[in-house]
Amino acid sequence: MSAILEVANLRKSFGGVIAVDDVSFDVREGEILGIIGPNGSGKSTLFNCVLGQLLPNGGEVHVDGRRTTGMRPCDLNRLGVSRTFQLLQVFGQLSVRDNLILAGQEHQGSMYSRLIGRADAGLGAAADQMIAFFQLSHLAAENAGALSYGQQKLLDAAMAFMGGPRLVLLDEPAGGVNPTMLTHLRERLAAYHTERKATFVVIEHQMEFVMALCTRVLVLAQGRVIAQGTPHEVRRNPIVIEAYLGH
Amino acid sequence: MKRFGTAAAAIGAVFAVALPFFLKPFGIYVISMWAVLTIAAIGLNLTLGYAGQVSLAQGAFVGIGAYTVTVLMQAGWPFAAAFIAAGVLCFAVGWILGYPALRVQHHYLAFVTLAFTTLVFLVLRNEEWLTNGVYGINGIPRPVLLGWPTGKALNFYFFSLGMLTVLSLAAWWMLRSPWGRAFIALRENPIRAQSLGLDTRRYTLMAFAIGSSLGGLAGALYAPLVQFIEPNSFGLGMSFNLLLMVIVGGSGYFFGPFVGALVAVLLPEWMRIAEGYYLIVYAALVMAMMAFCPSGILGFAERAFKSASRGSQPAPALRAEGAGP
Repeated sequence: MSAILEVANLRKSFGGVIAVDDVSFDVREGEILGIIGPNGSGKSTLFNCVLGQLLPNGGEVHVDGRRTTGMRPCDLNRLGVSRTFQLLQVFGQLSVRDNLILAGQEHQGSMYSRLIGRADAGLGAAADQMIAFFQLSHLAAENAGALSYGQQKLLDAAMAFMGGPRLVLLDEPAGGVNPTMLTHLRERLAAYHTERKATFVVIEHQMEFVMALCTRVLVLAQGRVIAQGTPHEVRRNPIVIEAYLGH
Repeated sequence: MKRFGTAAAAIGAVFAVALPFFLKPFGIYVISMWAVLTIAAIGLNLTLGYAGQVSLAQGAFVGIGAYTVTVLMQAGWPFAAAFIAAGVLCFAVGWILGYPALRVQHHYLAFVTLAFTTLVFLVLRNEEWLTNGVYGINGIPRPVLLGWPTGKALNFYFFSLGMLTVLSLAAWWMLRSPWGRAFIALRENPIRAQSLGLDTRRYTLMAFAIGSSLGGLAGALYAPLVQFIEPNSFGLGMSFNLLLMVIVGGSGYFFGPFVGALVAVLLPEWMRIAEGYYLIVYAALVMAMMAFCPSGILGFAERAFKSASRGSQPAPALRAEGAGP
């Protein structure tokens, strides 16, 4: 299988702190790659550099063989790369349905054709489908801000899928979600993955979630990749145990 | 709520059409001013209320529009062409003023736009060859549109009301299109919006340009309404007044500017019976309003309406809130 995302020698520092230190890895089409590591190991910074929220100090990012280093997040998104953030980010004053339409509308036609086109940008049915898929139908008309934390987390993930992305980067999708909702979220992610043949990269602390969902795991510590392999290999790797799982 | 809002808007429309027939010319002048300033406030509501970009420059755009239409009409342009030119010029200047908003936000942006307002005021005052400086320009004619003279107060009111209708319908269309959703996303969380493919840069500039353009069009009606313009009319006072209209009416509510402009135009007139104290009373009223309903009159009305409809059937609402995992 070919690589959909290639990260080569990526570096990012803030003042004297080196957050991402010469990180290289490939993500193969169709896999679910987990990224784990202790707090402050540079996982989120790595995502921000890959997706254009931050400009890396060095290194390169390629999506589908095309160089995307320094590209604006909105342009990257329209290439089919989407993400969620570690902290919950839904639009509280828009309804659940409008949140989803918003998440997909920029993929429909040009900016000016959207001005004269339909109010829902032709995405009403797609949004309703996505709402049903994530089992939020009874909340479709509610403002997103009125939902519970777990429900907002589901909506947040659902939004990342609205544009029909081929590559989705999820930053701690399980953080702060209760066990019932967590199983539900994992099932939804796995179902989307099978249905659309999408590729996922998932940052997560919740080891059970990673073990159940990911096909391969990358371990970061102090901004460097210290190990990679299947979830079981990584779990038994003594370096990883010392850096991360070491109780 | 929605049905209630539609009914209120319909009643308002009937009032707007019937009211002038019961008023003296000065009263008609005052409600014409309401119609004209509402257009400028709709523009500011778009920039500030929907897209979340603080601007203290809307008064300056009203000024640019007013001077553009006056100078061009003096040069022999027909009103319609000068009117369109005022809108286009303010669109372009607003677009340029949007660039600082890509770098700074909130009160820093307020300072940038405040400086711009002062700059426009200085240009209007100092460039005497174009603007006649502090003396202003007198005797601006009211246009004749397709053979229909707007010279009489009543005619000009209906012309202003017609323009308000057309422009607010255009704004309504835009806000219900995907653009409206994008503007709200820009206000709530630009970083998330950008990660969902929104070109936040272009939407920010558009929010400024379109809002400013509405300010310019309002100015292009202001000049023939008052028939006299001077730099002082378009200083910071005008910008603050327009900001007040948006906030008092309810920032981010479509009909907020209509209500806010009504308060800001009518209240000082009614307060005249308090003679010398009227500004003090007016200021106190505005302060009380901001302290007790910061979301403006429409925000207050919405809350009152919601709690009233919840009061009639409390049980299901409580259950809905308590539910969920």
